[in-house]
Amino acid sequence: MLLTTLILGAVLGGTYALLALGLTLQYGIARIMNLAYGELTLIAAFVLVWAFQGLGLSPIISILLLAPAGYLVGWALYTVMMGPLVRRAGGSGRLEVDSILATFGLLFLIQGVLLLTAGPNFTSISYLDRGVSVFGVSVAANKLVAFGICVVAGGALVVALARTRWGLTLRAVALSPVSAPLVGIDVNRTMRQGFALGTALAAVAGGTLAMYQTFSATGGVVFTMKALVIVIMGGVGNVGGALAAGLALGLVETFVATAIDPGLTLAATFAIFLIVLLWRPQGLFRRR
Amino acid sequence: MLEIKDLTLRYGKHTALDGVSAEVGKGEMVAILGANGAGKSSLLGAVGGRVRPASGSIRYQDQDLLALPQHLLVEHGIALVPEGRGIFPAMTVEDNLSLGALPRRAQAGAAARRDEVFGLFPKLAQRRGQIAGTMSGGEQQMVAIGRALMSAPDLLLLDEPSLGLAPIVAQELFAALGRIRAGGLTIMIVEQNAAATLALADRAYLLEAGRIIGAGAAEALRNDPAVAAAFLGGALTD
Repeated sequence: MLLTTLILGAVLGGTYALLALGLTLQYGIARIMNLAYGELTLIAAFVLVWAFQGLGLSPIISILLLAPAGYLVGWALYTVMMGPLVRRAGGSGRLEVDSILATFGLLFLIQGVLLLTAGPNFTSISYLDRGVSVFGVSVAANKLVAFGICVVAGGALVVALARTRWGLTLRAVALSPVSAPLVGIDVNRTMRQGFALGTALAAVAGGTLAMYQTFSATGGVVFTMKALVIVIMGGVGNVGGALAAGLALGLVETFVATAIDPGLTLAATFAIFLIVLLWRPQGLFRRR
Repeated sequence: MLEIKDLTLRYGKHTALDGVSAEVGKGEMVAILGANGAGKSSLLGAVGGRVRPASGSIRYQDQDLLALPQHLLVEHGIALVPEGRGIFPAMTVEDNLSLGALPRRAQAGAAARRDEVFGLFPKLAQRRGQIAGTMSGGEQQMVAIGRALMSAPDLLLLDEPSLGLAPIVAQELFAALGRIRAGGLTIMIVEQNAAATLALADRAYLLEAGRIIGAGAAEALRNDPAVAAAFLGGALTD
């Protein structure tokens, strides 16, 4: 029983962690609080379902394609919509308010389009839904594959951020945008890359969700909220913290759903959020 | 090498620089001296691309610097150590130095340059894993200068490197600047510590209320009683 909760919680947590990683990159590097983040996730989820049902495309291949497609969409979104806001704000705090309002509008735009094309009903696919025994617990194979993809994508990103020249550039802009030009970094370009990378992660997370969960066109805001809760739990801009907090939230939700009541998972999420905000607003893992 | 002509810079209604002209030759160390608010940092900031002047020109090796965005200056061999240092305080010393080597021109030979920086500031070699923001002011200044040197500059711009440092730490810093200077790097420095700066520099410009009010060889300025009265706190005490 406990082992089941742990394993299923870890699987859910993997997707959450990836979801939060994308949001924290967008906010940390591009300084854009993207309220339409969950809708971008949903687009990817719907695309995966349509590709699977309509074209018979394997979800794994879909996700491999969704990552670069998400990057391109993020790139375009930043260029068309966020770039002008960034330029207008000129490094002032105005960007936060402007980006929240603009992406709030984008949320309803995407939601409307999704409702129109997909309808209001819940969608899911049946892909690899036979059970596989993990430490004696039967887990659906699709969840394991989804978890594997999250681990690989999240792990690759963490290594890239920590070890590569590109990662160093992204971290530098996240930490000190004013100092970054001193070492030759084009801050605007790096912000665009950070936003695009975050969208790519949203797309991959959406793809993995679609592999094992039912979802509907109106559910995006819950993904945004959960990602936000995780980001704040982990500490804003803290990649390792987002991964750990994502995993923790998956475990807590699964525990609440199995031990108490499935209807209370969202309530539990926000209870944690409130406790963290009141007790450790700087995040659970922040030094100092 | 660097030619500043009729530079005027305003912050709103306040005129920070009013028709400033100055030159820095290759291999020279030129100091800009002046009281607080005289416009020293504005001048260096304009050369380093941090602030945009209203009029005038800045040419560097036949390149119009005002046509370049700030982040490209370092590719042209200009490294700025701004007031307040401009390091990445949440990163390690090692990462700060690696960031210095980020420009294309600095990528080849980065390892050798790192050894030079460690030779200049042995403390950085011992503390390479430390988070830069947890170091003392003097050590952070070493990180800032080391980071600038990592970008293989031809022209080093230093803004108040000794600001806020204890006298003994400042002394160490000027000793290090002397060694950097001996390596043949062209340096433009803004400093409040006029005595120590004039001891190192070739020439200096005197700035007051946004205008150049005097210029000359460092040696001559050190022995000029009027300069001593205005900028050196009355008398030179070495």
